[in-house]
Amino acid sequence: MIRTQISLSEQEYAAAKQEARRLGISLAELLRRSLRAVLPCDESRPWMRYAGMIETGDPDSSSRIDDVVYGAKR
Amino acid sequence: MTWSMARSADAYVDTSAFIAFADRSDTHHALFRRLFSNPPAIVTTTLVVAEGHGWFLKRYDRTRGLQFLSLIEELTPLQVLAVGPDEHAAGAAVVRKYTDQDLTLTDAVGLALMTRDRIERCWSTDHHLGLGGALLAIHDPGT
Repeated sequence: MIRTQISLSEQEYAAAKQEARRLGISLAELLRRSLRAVLPCDESRPWMRYAGMIETGDPDSSSRIDDVVYGAKR
Repeated sequence: MTWSMARSADAYVDTSAFIAFADRSDTHHALFRRLFSNPPAIVTTTLVVAEGHGWFLKRYDRTRGLQFLSLIEELTPLQVLAVGPDEHAAGAAVVRKYTDQDLTLTDAVGLALMTRDRIERCWSTDHHLGLGGALLAIHDPGT
């Protein structure tokens, strides 16, 4: 793992910290996730046409599979 | 135990990884889009495929369910292992080992498979899949 430093404005830093807190992750993890979203990846494989084929609107959808498949606990 | 072994897989893939890959709203979508764009040898089970298909059926419709099955078929680096009586027994033993966890049998069979075939990496957003010591992709700084 490579450590690096970046400079943020006070507003950017405060907004990023707030978003990280909302998601329950560290600021570093928030920045890693943001970076992954903008870096290009190879889309040439045939199965990549299924990447992003749906948009649930739920940022935690992959963490709530059991609720959908088996039903939420009562 | 006679169950089919994974052919030297680098990672086990859980249902949540497929959903994060397909759902552009998911917070881990970019990570799994990148991982699936250039996958190593990966393995999953028929239980995961059934769970994923069930998710698309309940959350969306038959068409989306079929698209998910097509994804599995076209994803050639993925080996889908059958789950028979031996795999079921190994999964049930894992459920009994972690009585303080809400483990599904699908999760438990995955955990048993990773132990059996010494698979050290897991593509999942479900922390249950790390119970056996596998490194989850969402925590792996190398991904």
